[in-house]
Amino acid sequence: MPKSAVSIEEAVMSDLQWVSCEQIMPALVLFIDHELPTESEYQVFEFHFQNCPPCLQTMEHERTAIEFMQNLLRNTCTEQAPEGLNERILQQTQMLAGQTQVEFFSQTTITEFSFDGTTSIQVTQEFTQEIRHDFN
Amino acid sequence: MDIDAGLEVAVVDRATESPAQKKARFERDALAYTSQLYAAALRYTKNTQDAQDLVQDTYAKAFVAFHQFEPGTNLKAWLYRILTTTFINTYRKDQRRPQLSDGELEDWQIFEAASHTSDQGRSAEDVALDGIADGDVKDALAAMPEDFRMAVYLADVEGFSYKEIAEIVGVPSGTVMSRLHRGRKLLRESLAEYAKERGFNRGGSHV
Repeated sequence: MPKSAVSIEEAVMSDLQWVSCEQIMPALVLFIDHELPTESEYQVFEFHFQNCPPCLQTMEHERTAIEFMQNLLRNTCTEQAPEGLNERILQQTQMLAGQTQVEFFSQTTITEFSFDGTTSIQVTQEFTQEIRHDFN
Repeated sequence: MDIDAGLEVAVVDRATESPAQKKARFERDALAYTSQLYAAALRYTKNTQDAQDLVQDTYAKAFVAFHQFEPGTNLKAWLYRILTTTFINTYRKDQRRPQLSDGELEDWQIFEAASHTSDQGRSAEDVALDGIADGDVKDALAAMPEDFRMAVYLADVEGFSYKEIAEIVGVPSGTVMSRLHRGRKLLRESLAEYAKERGFNRGGSHV
């Protein structure tokens, strides 16, 4: 395989130059997860795979393993929300929708203090939110 | 996995929407995700009662903050963010858990850099995983460190992007990458162990 010191970014800039396996391998998972930052980088990877069977094989292996795990997890984690939970959420929404009055209070405290001849002012602002329930 | 499922059509004018309309929109759009959030909450809390409470809390917060949700953006990701933040701030508070090392940012690239030969034997391991049971998968997930479990769940079950997970969990994308990569590796190794045990059991004379 031809070797070069071109980085993926440089390859993108200079229109599909060959990048080394050392550049490709650490970012393989980004290629598989569709997380490469630009479309051009996918072309750099595709170009590399077309010309480097070992990297292609490693990528396909890894992709198969990840997809296998994803399918396994998705077929396993399929619990349905219990009937009572949906009911409680609806009641809770109803109750929260009945809260009509919302008021905000704010309190500002200004503290002045001196240290080593420098005077500083500290401003503290506290917010309180009061929600009144409207049960009817 | 349909990632666009969380996108709602932006036909809502929140300025003129009445409280009743807002409530109806919440019930129509947000309540479609109760089962998905419940399954995630089960992974987070590891028990059905806490999972139900967590989902209920999530919907209370979501409803109160629903005016802040911008219609047309990803509602599912928005709900997951509330679920995850609530879990981290409330349910995890009194759990004493070992913190992940600070080295996690650097070593996400442990992906056997530049080695073609390290993969040999992996396919045999994958074939062995075919016999794995649902309960094993859940146990293996539950046994993982929480941050890894979240990253793997959000990426590999829910199909969120690194950037979306970063926003949901409240960490940088690089940290998501690190956790996801290490989580997948851990899960794979752990399931291979389960599969090996099952293989031995199957080979025995009893059922």
